Formats: sequence, structure tokens, C-alpha cells
Amino acid sequence: MRFPYGSAALSMLVLSVLSGVWLALNPVKKPEATLVMWTFAKTHYDAYKQALPAFEKKHPGVKVDLQLVSWQAVTSRLQAAFLSDLDVPDLVEVEISAAGSFFRGPLKDVGFRDLTDRIKESGLYDRMVQARFAPYTSRGRIFGLPHDVHPVMIAYRRDLFEQLGIDPNTIKTWDDFIRVGRKVTIPGKRYMLELPDSESSRFEPLLYQRGGGLFDPEGNCTMDNEIAVETMLFYVPLVAGPNRIASDLGGGQIFTKAVEDGYFLCMIAPDWRSKTIEVDVPKMKGKMALMPLPAVSPGGRRTSTWGGTMIGITRHCKNPDLAWELALHLYLNKEDLAQRFRDTNILPPLKEAWDHPAYNEPRPYWSNQPLGKMYAELAPHVPFQYTSPFVTTAKGKLSEALVACVQYYRSYGERGFEEFVRKRLKQSADEVRRLMRRNPY
Amino acid sequence: MATKQPELTVDMMGVRRTSRWFVLQYRAAPYLFVSPFLILFATFGVYPIGKSLMLSFYVTNGPKSAVFVGLENFRFMLSDPDFHTAVWNTAVFAFWSVFLQLPLSLGLALLLNSIWMKGRELLRLAFFSPNLLGQVFVGVLFSVLFIPQYGLVNRFLHFLAGIPLDTKWLANPDLVMPALVLTSLWMYVGFNMIYFLAALQAVDRDLYEAATVDGANAWYQFWAVTLPGIKPVAVFVLVMSTIGSFQLFELPWIMLNNSAGPDQAGLTVVMYLYQTGFVAGDLGYAATVGWSLALGVLMISLFQMRVTGAWKGGAD
Repeated sequence: MRFPYGSAALSMLVLSVLSGVWLALNPVKKPEATLVMWTFAKTHYDAYKQALPAFEKKHPGVKVDLQLVSWQAVTSRLQAAFLSDLDVPDLVEVEISAAGSFFRGPLKDVGFRDLTDRIKESGLYDRMVQARFAPYTSRGRIFGLPHDVHPVMIAYRRDLFEQLGIDPNTIKTWDDFIRVGRKVTIPGKRYMLELPDSESSRFEPLLYQRGGGLFDPEGNCTMDNEIAVETMLFYVPLVAGPNRIASDLGGGQIFTKAVEDGYFLCMIAPDWRSKTIEVDVPKMKGKMALMPLPAVSPGGRRTSTWGGTMIGITRHCKNPDLAWELALHLYLNKEDLAQRFRDTNILPPLKEAWDHPAYNEPRPYWSNQPLGKMYAELAPHVPFQYTSPFVTTAKGKLSEALVACVQYYRSYGERGFEEFVRKRLKQSADEVRRLMRRNPY
Repeated sequence: MATKQPELTVDMMGVRRTSRWFVLQYRAAPYLFVSPFLILFATFGVYPIGKSLMLSFYVTNGPKSAVFVGLENFRFMLSDPDFHTAVWNTAVFAFWSVFLQLPLSLGLALLLNSIWMKGRELLRLAFFSPNLLGQVFVGVLFSVLFIPQYGLVNRFLHFLAGIPLDTKWLANPDLVMPALVLTSLWMYVGFNMIYFLAALQAVDRDLYEAATVDGANAWYQFWAVTLPGIKPVAVFVLVMSTIGSFQLFELPWIMLNNSAGPDQAGLTVVMYLYQTGFVAGDLGYAATVGWSLALGVLMISLFQMRVTGAWKGGAD
């Protein structure tokens, strides 16, 4: 019997039937894991891989499937997973700037479990740096356990400082810093500080240092308040105009070359970035050092915060008690945390962990400074950083305001600058508020 | 008792068959063959389209909460400065894509179609090869080329025209769009050139000979013979380039380090849709933006087809 549509169509039909049958008989095996966890940082992934066998040994029969998901993808994948209720992990590490967007809608609909009671009952709220719960708190409920503190210091080229006769101990305030910066900056060749003029990633730590922020504890947008205006008036002349002492070229290889060439003398350096600098600029081993952030005024706060990560347990998780235990295992084990600090330079928020000798070890890269001790001394002073579901929008709007202010300052200098800053920040804040008002919840 | 014999029939190829089996397969087979497409299209095409249309009438807060707001999303969009920025940026990009890219593509195609041109195959491959790379790769490549102080573009332009080495192509709102257009030119000029080249090679050579006999110079031959001859392809390239330009996302997203760039200078409509839906979590508004984009592109395409005469079959 001949097939009426020809042998080609018959071949396609047979092939599709055979492949369909084969797929039906050999379904893709899902990993038989008790808990599925996503992390976006390779350094975290490597550290947790080492820590998981002990957890699995402690809980016979439990298998944890740890997955490394690109940080760019983790937000959209998680949103899609929540939306479809498919492949939702049990635990997720979420980057601080994305965390707020998951707290939209009524509390009962937030994709993460409310950890407030667990955190308070276990005493963790007091054992950890309290400021670090703020970015993962919405309407008074805590949805994530902080992974880090990320106190900010200034990393500087110690060798060039010595050549130029700069004593870092004399730099106590931003005024001191700017005074020195104006002496050593050579436009187009050498700048005192690495600061961008086109986005707000380093504006924000300086805003937090002054006690400001994008939102207040109630979630109101505060990016146009007096502190924000002061910070903008301080920041823009650093990166624009005839007396600028800061510039920015970008990350990766260009950053490496710029630091090696002495294009930048100083960089804003939270703990995680000190490791990035070690890795990206290995030739500077022994030539770099750290100093506290200059204070806004004498005796003021000598640090700030930049970046962060939380671990959250999703509502989808069928075994939240076990997931909580896993989170504690990964975030509270002192020995693991010490080793992780050696590997990543990231200071954990668990205050009692800082007693470990690892934090006192001198670091050859940083001219034998005890990195952990220096960051730990600043950690209790890290400012609160409140969030909102509209945090990504607010960050974008703040960047827009910064660019506008920089352009104005380049064109008109100080003339009418303060008035423009107020107006532009208010415009950005109003756009955020307009979006917030749209929220029917 | 005699059993009933199946009725025999003869098909078009002269093969004898049992009629019931033949009738069954004759009727069912076409549906069977189109069913995989129909099922997939319904699942991944019709359903999402319908769902997104429905979503565009809701304000969504995260994945689970949705409140019906009627046309409020559309009203909000009309007064949304970010949406306006995205539309403006996308339109500017589309304008330059069409008015720079297509003439350049056509120029290259004319060059490679010349009989005196040597090494045409090699040049054709060279011009087309950028399109073999993905947008992500090209984005990474050009973000390195455009870096200040050490980037090749700045080094070259500094040597050539003395522009400052620390010119920040991707951090200066005024330079972001030129950088995107330049990158896009590098990537797509060769691709569109292939279309034009194929069209040029299909133009009847006898027409050129007749025009030459009639005393037409090269410029007049181009207007009177070449352009009408390649018009259908030109309209196709024009419409497809415009649609492609309005769908711009990966290139600026990669080049501007997963952001809209300084002062949102690289914000495109699709990027705004992505940010609204998958970063901010407002899927309802993202659906509104998506539908507006689709309707906008449809209207522009129809307008282009009408203006070029393709709508009346003039491009055929």
C-alpha cells in the first residue's frame, strides 16, 4: 500500500511518531532533590557546595540541589516561576537591588515566606547587624535573611600615595579628601577617585552615609529630601566642572588597566569589591591599602554600604522548616563563614562570627592590613537602607537626575545649581510617586 | 454465510485501495499533518496573545494579584514620560536605521554587482559575516571598542580628529544613540545588501542595453531601470528593517550593561516592556506597552506599504 502524500510526508510522520513515543517512554528525569536552591554568585555557589555535604549528612535522606543562576536572569526567572507556579525553587538568594520588586502586592501574595517570627524568635535579629534586615523588609515584615553587611571603605594605591606624599591618616573628612584630591588630580591623566557621572551606583552609598535613602521605613519616596539635595550638591562637583577630582572608565579590563596605570588613586570599596580588585588587578599586590570612608563632618560616620544579598524561602517550598535549617546552616556556621571570608572578603552579618582569627589575618595584597578587622569595626555603623517594590524604578530615576545635574553643572557651573538640583530631584521623585499612586493595594 | 468484501476503488495514481480506509485517511491526514502546528500555535501563540490582551486591562502587582482597571493602563501610558522616551529613542533608531542603513546596503550591493569589481565573493562574505554573529556577541564586542581612554574607537578618532581619549560613548546621553546606530550599521548593512544584490541580479540586463541605446546615462539608468526593478525587494527590506528597529532590545541592553543607559538614552520600547514586566513585576502595564508596540508597528508598516505603492500591488 502506497502512502497517498508521498514518501517524504510518510517519513516525517513516522519520524514524529517515533520521536514522540521515545520521548513519552523516556521522560526527562527531574533531580530528586528535597530542596532546590538558587544562587546567582559563583563565589557563593562554590562555598555552599562545600557546606552542603555536612547538612545532608546531618539530615539523612535529604538532598539539596544547588543551582547557579546568572544574576541578570535570576529576577526574571523567579518572576516567571512565581507566575506559572512551575520550577519554583525552595530557597533563593536575591540581589539587594532586585529584592524590593518581589515585595509587590498584598503581603499574602508576596512570593517569599514571612521570616519575621523565625528571625525574632531565634534571636537572629539581635545577633546580626540590624541595619541589614531593612532592605528585605516590607510593611514591617522580613522576607529575607541577610547574607552580608558590605561596609564601605576607600581602597587606594598606597605606593602612589607615598610617592605623592599623601598621609591617609590625615584624611578624616570629605573636605580633607577633596583638598588632597585637587592637588594630585591631573585632568585626563590621573584622578583622586573613581566615581561615575552617568549612573548612581556610587551616589547611593554616599547618600546612605549621610543618613538619606531612596525610601523611608514606611516606603515613602525620599529621594528629593534635604539630604538627597545636599548629597547631589556634594557629588556633582566631584565628577564634573573645572575642579573635578573623580572620573570613571568602566569595569573589567579597562578598570584593571586604569588602576595599574594610576589613572585612579582611590576607589569606593565595600568588602566584596576588595576581592574584585584583588582578582581583577593582581599586579597591584602589596601596593594597595584600605582606609575608612571620609566622614561628612568631623566625628561623623566613616562608612556606608553598597550591594547585598538575601536568602529567602519561597511560599512554594513544601518543607519550610528544613529550608530554614538549610539557610541557618549556610549563614551561621562560624567556621564556614570564616573560610568564606578568606575566599570572598565578604563580612557576614553575624556579629559573633567576627571573633574568629580569620578576620584578623593580615592580607598581603592589602599591604598586610587585617581586612576583616577593619571592615568589622565599621560594620555596626552601616546605615539603614530601606526598600520598596519601586526600588528599581527609583534607582533609575535617581540616575536620570544625576545625569541631568551633571549636564547642568558642566554648562552653567554653580549659577542656579542648587535650585536646579532641588527641581530635578523633585521631578524624579514625583515620577516614582506617580507610579506608586497607581498601586491599588 | 458470505463475508462482505471491502469495496475497491482506484486512486489518482492508479492504486487500488479499500474505500473506507482510503476515505478516512484522505479526510484525516491533512488535519493530522497540520495539527502539530495548530496545537503549538494555539499554546504558544494564540493563548499568550489572548492572555496578554486581557492582562493589558489589569494593574498587576507581582505574579498573583491583578485588579481590573479597564483602559487605565492605556491612559497612564499616554502620560508616562518613560514610555515617551522609549518611543522617541526607538523612532530615532528606526529613522537612522532606514535612512542610513538601506542606502548603504544598496550602495554596497551596486558595488558588488558591478562587472568590473574584483573579488566580489570575498567582499560579499566579508560584508555579510557580521550578521553571522549574535546581537549579544556584537554588543559585548562594541562595548569594548567604545570604552573611553583605551578603546579602539577613541584611539582611532583621537588620531584622526583629535577627539578626547576619555570620550564616553556609552556613558554620555548624547553619544549613546550614535554608538547604537553605528553598531547596528556594522551588523546589518551586509545583511540587507544580500537582499539588494539578489534583486539587482534579477533585473533584466536587456533593459540596461536598451537604455544605453536610448542614450540614458548611469544615473538615469539607476532611476529608470534599477530602482523600479528592485522595488519589491526594497519595500520588503524597508518594512522588515523598520519592524526590526522597533524590536530593538539585546544590543542596547548588552552595550549599556543591562540598563537603559545614562538618562535613559538607550531605552527602547521593548526594553521598557521588559523592565516593566520582569524587573518591576507589573505585567499588566507591560502587556499594554506590548500591544501598543504591535499596533504602532502595524500602522507604520501599512503606511510604508501604502506610500511605496506595495499596498495596491505596485511593488509586484
